[in-house]
Amino acid sequence: VRDSLTARQEPSVPSNSAAAEAAPNVRTHPWLFLTANLTEERFFLILSVFIGIFAGLAVICLRLAIDWTSISLLGPAPSPHTLGVLLVPAVVGLVIAVLVIHVFPQVRGSGVNQTKAAFYIFNGRIPFRTAVGKFITAALAIGSGQSLGPEDPSLQIGASLAWVIGRRMKFSREKLRLLAPVGAAAGLAAAFNAPISAVLFVIEEVIGRWSAAILGSVVLSAISSVVVVRSFLGAQPLFRIPPLATVHPTELLAYAVLGIVGGLAAVVFAKAIGYFRPLLIALPKATRYFQPALAGLMIGFIGYLGAPQVMGAGYESIDQAMHDHFTWTVLAGLAGLKILATTLSLVTGTPGGMFAPTMFIGAMLGGAVGGVERHFYPHLTGTTGTYALVGMGVLFAGFMRVPMTSVFMVLEVSGDYSIIVPVILANAIAYVISRSLQETPIFDLLTRQDGLNLPSLEEQREEGILRVEDAMKLPVAAVLDSRLAVGEASQQVQGTSSEVFLVRLFPSGWGSVNRDVIERLVNEGKSGMTLASLLPAQPLPYLHPDHPLEMALRYVEQTPLVPVVSRADLRKLEGIITGEDVFARYRVAAGESP
Amino acid sequence: MSLRLRGMLKPDLEPITSRPPVVIAFLVVLALLGLFCVGRLVHHFQQEEKALARQLYWRSLREQVAGKKDLAIQHFRAALGYDHDNFEYQLALARALVDSGRTQEAESYLIGLWERFPQNGEVNLALGRLAAEEKSLDRAMQYYHNAIYGLWVSNAEQNRVQAWFELIRVLIGLDARRQAEAEVVSLSANLPPNPGMELLTANLFAELEDYEHALTEYRRVLGSDPTNPAALAGAGEAAYKLSRYRTAAGYLEAATKARPQDAQLTQLLQTSQLILENDPFNRRISRLERDRRLRMIFQDAGQRLDACIQAGEPQPSSSQSSTDPISPLKVRWTTMKSKLGQLGTGRESEVPDEIMDLVLQIEQQTAACGMTVKDQALLLLAENRAGVEQ
Repeated sequence: VRDSLTARQEPSVPSNSAAAEAAPNVRTHPWLFLTANLTEERFFLILSVFIGIFAGLAVICLRLAIDWTSISLLGPAPSPHTLGVLLVPAVVGLVIAVLVIHVFPQVRGSGVNQTKAAFYIFNGRIPFRTAVGKFITAALAIGSGQSLGPEDPSLQIGASLAWVIGRRMKFSREKLRLLAPVGAAAGLAAAFNAPISAVLFVIEEVIGRWSAAILGSVVLSAISSVVVVRSFLGAQPLFRIPPLATVHPTELLAYAVLGIVGGLAAVVFAKAIGYFRPLLIALPKATRYFQPALAGLMIGFIGYLGAPQVMGAGYESIDQAMHDHFTWTVLAGLAGLKILATTLSLVTGTPGGMFAPTMFIGAMLGGAVGGVERHFYPHLTGTTGTYALVGMGVLFAGFMRVPMTSVFMVLEVSGDYSIIVPVILANAIAYVISRSLQETPIFDLLTRQDGLNLPSLEEQREEGILRVEDAMKLPVAAVLDSRLAVGEASQQVQGTSSEVFLVRLFPSGWGSVNRDVIERLVNEGKSGMTLASLLPAQPLPYLHPDHPLEMALRYVEQTPLVPVVSRADLRKLEGIITGEDVFARYRVAAGESP
Repeated sequence: MSLRLRGMLKPDLEPITSRPPVVIAFLVVLALLGLFCVGRLVHHFQQEEKALARQLYWRSLREQVAGKKDLAIQHFRAALGYDHDNFEYQLALARALVDSGRTQEAESYLIGLWERFPQNGEVNLALGRLAAEEKSLDRAMQYYHNAIYGLWVSNAEQNRVQAWFELIRVLIGLDARRQAEAEVVSLSANLPPNPGMELLTANLFAELEDYEHALTEYRRVLGSDPTNPAALAGAGEAAYKLSRYRTAAGYLEAATKARPQDAQLTQLLQTSQLILENDPFNRRISRLERDRRLRMIFQDAGQRLDACIQAGEPQPSSSQSSTDPISPLKVRWTTMKSKLGQLGTGRESEVPDEIMDLVLQIEQQTAACGMTVKDQALLLLAENRAGVEQ
């Protein structure tokens, strides 16, 4: 099947008599006719749609399971000062620990890093058992009140389903690897009800690089999963978006403050997780039975004392924050408690995601900043909902370090582009602060704590790209014209020290000729021949100054001297580059002497 | 032969479950099955959630009645958590929030509802009330008008009229009397035949001092209920304000019979009757009788002036007057007394008016001494000497 799927990618197509005999069958057999034009690429696209559908269905089931668990364990309207709120997260935490240790060992944590590892290390493989385990444990954890969200588990479940669907297809390794991000995008889009943000997140965080080849499948799966979810659960976002408004340009100052506060909160959140997680991992293994229960007990205690809003994913509370249901002091308090509760849940390895808590903290902080501003400058302030929404993006940018996703998430969820300026401003500030104070992004930090080293888009961005212009030299030797006679060329090269000379071909192109060759031809009495008649038919490859330096490596092996020419005029020589120049530049970049 | 074709023409070399058409067919069947099963599951779960939401809703209503407002709000919210789009729950929550004084939260809920149901009467009415509380006249009028002309699930006509009455009350409360008067005129033109509502409309006209329309409305009520005491009293008062004392006396007489203990009605009736009895400009009386009435009015005014001077502390009703206004009046009264002889001589064409002018000034300037029913009657007679109903 792989042959049949990849045949179009083969460089040459062998033919024999059997093909000619079989050709009529292609026209008459319906199945063969259907698949006659089905390349691996196209089949993968079709499969992406199915991955999206199944991921969407799985995410719907996960949401129902979480709701059902919550109603069953905590009651339809959890209230503070009840024993259920205090004890249920702890008791269920024990059950989760047993399941994670003995039945589903791969389901610890959020699932984003596992999906990324599947993409980079395991050729897209995430066993179905992991999906089942993640489904059960995440539903139990979130439903019982652990401060986690369903998005990251949905992402991993989607990736696992993609593997289950695609593994028998004998795809190329590249396509098998792609199954993970395709499924991840579908799962996240379904959980988030926001396909663009899901695609961007998968590109920014899971794949770690932009690639047109991946984009089509990822987008298709994300859209098909969202269509499935919306057809069953409706198109409304996870929380109602109030009317958004910015009152005055000076209000941007308040959004800048929000960016600073959000950036600092993101750093505190990330550092707390980064500090406590290895400590708990280092504890004796027997303690892992009790860690989620202990986290559950502490979260339950917070809920018991009067803040049940921090339990679970917290979408209802985000909705309430957006609609002015809390004072700014309550909002600030809830943000702080949520950071504490989510840190507890995450560092103990309880299965569940960071998306919803991040949005919760952001919304509360945003609402609090808006509330403070309204207190002092009531005439200058827009709605609390606007601040809460911008705050969500701020935490995304600062904590998860996904600046593109953070901006588009706010715009996609709100459907309102009028707030784009405050969103970009606040997100950019939070991102810069987070990068300054927290060197490693949270997902990379967690990956490294787990002993893996996976690439990230942020790291790639920081790596400076060397270009040809960084290594090339200005041409010092004479450039010969291909129409010159050998004798004239000999006169031109006399008095120069170079051994190799570039030849400008007519009407375009470049060649090279050695001093030895010119001198030999003159001695043989062939001074009247033109240089063009001596040069090989294949012209020299050439480079442009902006080409990556890696590209020069391909050519310096073939020819001792590669011309670097202007993009505006291919006959204009900007410089020359040799193998020695390239390696010398790399040595400098590595900190060695050239 | 291409690898693609070669792969297809040798299917026996590949497991059948790996062939793309088979895989696609299998996935289609599985997807349809999955969609069906999940669809059933979602439907069942949503039904369960709706039932749960209904339970919470009724519980909240009971808590609201019991005065447990915060608990009711919490459970209304929980109900909405399970049935997000339920109009009834959202409106109930918004009302509960308004009752608890959390108007900002209520408004955000109501605006959310309004965006979904901009024509809904209940939502517009609730928003109108909030706008009225915020003293935002334009928004209040907009929402109230939306409610008046909007859609109502039940009792549409009654709800619309009630919203209209409420709007007028709001406008009066916000001191937008011109807008209120326009609304009452419009309301009366669209009012269904209902004496109770007509009476309310007439009262509103009276409150807005549009006595002409008020009298018309009261008469409309009396047309269907001739003995309605409130309408009789209102009509009498409106006619009295319009200086139609004969009409007023008629209505007030009937009204006082129904409400003999109503002192205000009795006073109005007495005043009206005194005016009618002492009106010197009544065309139906003889010249002799007119002169007699003028003399009597003049004497009464003189006595009032003397009583007020004896009381010692007459307060000028005009703040601009810094000097004692009573003494010049006494001088004028004495001068005028000498002219009384001209009455009945045929040379007195200016005298009645001069007498009434003086009487008017005396009654106005001595108002601070306290007014009897007779003084009130004299004042009104002097003020409306051409307008007293003939």
